[in-house]
Amino acid sequence: MKKIRSTFLIVQAILLVFCCFLPSGCGGSEKEKNEKHSSVVFAMDTVMEITVYGDEEVLKKAEELIRDLERKFSVTLEESDISRLNATGNTRVSEETYALLKRGKEICERTEGALDLTVYPVVHAWGFTTGEHRVPSEKEIQKLLENVDFRRIALGENMLVTVPSGVMTDLGSVAKGYTGDRLMELFKDSGVTSALINLGGNVQALGTKPDGSLWKVAVADPKGGEEYAGVVTMEGKAVITSGAYERFFEENGHVYHHIIDTSTGCPAESGFVSVTVVGDEGTLCDGLSTSLFAMGPEKAFEFWKNSDDFEAVFITSDEKIFVTEGIADAFTPLGRFQKKETEVIRRD
Amino acid sequence: MRKKIETKRITMDAVLTATALVIFIIELQFPEIIPIPGIKLGLANVITLVAMFRLGPADTLAILLGRILLGGMFSGRIISVLYSLAGGLLCYGVTLLLRKTVSESQIWVCGVLGAIAHNVGQILTAVALTRTPELFGYFPILVVSGILTGAFTGGIAAFTVKKTKKLWE
Amino acid sequence: MIKTKTWIMIFAAMLLIFGAVSFWSFTRPSKGTVANIYVNGECVRSVDLSLVTESFEFTVETSAGTNVIQVEPGRIRVKEADCPDQVCVHAGWIADSANPVVCLPHRLVIRLEKNGKSADGPDAVSK
Repeated sequence: MKKIRSTFLIVQAILLVFCCFLPSGCGGSEKEKNEKHSSVVFAMDTVMEITVYGDEEVLKKAEELIRDLERKFSVTLEESDISRLNATGNTRVSEETYALLKRGKEICERTEGALDLTVYPVVHAWGFTTGEHRVPSEKEIQKLLENVDFRRIALGENMLVTVPSGVMTDLGSVAKGYTGDRLMELFKDSGVTSALINLGGNVQALGTKPDGSLWKVAVADPKGGEEYAGVVTMEGKAVITSGAYERFFEENGHVYHHIIDTSTGCPAESGFVSVTVVGDEGTLCDGLSTSLFAMGPEKAFEFWKNSDDFEAVFITSDEKIFVTEGIADAFTPLGRFQKKETEVIRRD
Repeated sequence: MRKKIETKRITMDAVLTATALVIFIIELQFPEIIPIPGIKLGLANVITLVAMFRLGPADTLAILLGRILLGGMFSGRIISVLYSLAGGLLCYGVTLLLRKTVSESQIWVCGVLGAIAHNVGQILTAVALTRTPELFGYFPILVVSGILTGAFTGGIAAFTVKKTKKLWE
Repeated sequence: MIKTKTWIMIFAAMLLIFGAVSFWSFTRPSKGTVANIYVNGECVRSVDLSLVTESFEFTVETSAGTNVIQVEPGRIRVKEADCPDQVCVHAGWIADSANPVVCLPHRLVIRLEKNGKSADGPDAVSK
């Protein structure tokens, strides 16, 4: 009896040790075959998910690049190019900032000011930059609108940028798109052929999936939740959505969202609840998603007809989906949107 | 003579409660090795078992309740008292039932079945409190851990009971 | 009286059976596992655990208090919370879909669910 018990005690001890390793030992053995490498970066006020196939080293460089661009573009970091520009009205900026200001201005021009890099003071007045939401008075908005004009950003020689006092520049509407473009360049230069990034909802891909299949990017349901409005399949494109559901507040029963109509200085009541732009260039898609949203269906559709460098999925406030003909085949509505008709916009 | 026995008993109860409490508090300081709620050695149960076989059910219940309530206060985890109570009382019940059916050298059996009962009690409380029936998913692993930890603590208890035979008589 | 040997047999059998069941439940494929964080039954945030390579943390604010949630490759936990019971913190890491973490005082639940509705869910969500 004694013998049995002492033997048993030893067995118990061994089993106990085994028990300690049992649950923890089972979880970790999955990733070996896959060359998928991902990282999550918190930057530019959002969560960025980066997935590359093959080269793991490039993830570090990607994070460095993001941090570097954030330090240059941020409106809140005091040392940034943009903060210096806004504080002094006259400053030399980094190459990247200069390039993005230049490209940004071109998009502003093309959208006839529906996108404006100087709308910051108005957005600020509505509290979307700080979270202290309020409805500014008509008078206040009119006064602020006087200083909203991207044409006043003067790009001089040797990276010198000048703005008149009162004009505030903010690259927020194109910074994530540009970051995406730069990441794609970095990946290409590093020999990566397959990558997907999600910069706080701005999705951009390099190539196809490693097995050659297309990426599937869901378009968020404007109502939120876990459903999707649809899925776009694509390779090597940016898929960038602007929606009224992203940031908004409610006051006196009225919902105010963060996409400001640059002509009125108020949240755009354009008839869209979400606009998704699909194209090769992240910067363009980012800038256009906001400005097409603000334009409303009529102007936005016309704008697309006169362009050849992007496609789009529009969802109107009555939950109807409009898809441009270039991606009509690549788009599949999901959930309750399947039951409704999806209209294809064509160039006549 | 009777008074002397009473005094001895009360002293014994107090000493065992204090010991259980110390063991309980020390065990709370152990880092969680296993990422599953409810898995721990339950060393304080050694005292419950020793008390059950050396002092009797009434004293054991007093020691158990004293340990749980004071343990809850000392550790500042008042709500966990609820879990401890559910687990502790179920464990106590099982040990009580088994007391007469196992020999002293089989005390570890009480440890095992008691530990399983304890874990079942904790799951039931958790499901009731959180209304999350998915927590029953932990049942199998908690049975496994109950067997292993129960055998371990039960073994210690058996050893202690054997070694303290003289002390109590 | 049941013999010691019999007891050992019974427990060995239980160990085998429940060990196998729990081994099975903990090794179920968790590829594409998304941790959804619910407050008051509403999903406030999703983290695709299979995409995480480096540990990170974030804070979920509920009307009742805050929970600091930590994510590591393939698993998630409540690291800190200002709830009185700390059950959510003690729940520790979860890495398989059967077992949610619950913080009752804050009505917060972390539940692991499969990505999308079907196996071929989207690779990313544009929003």
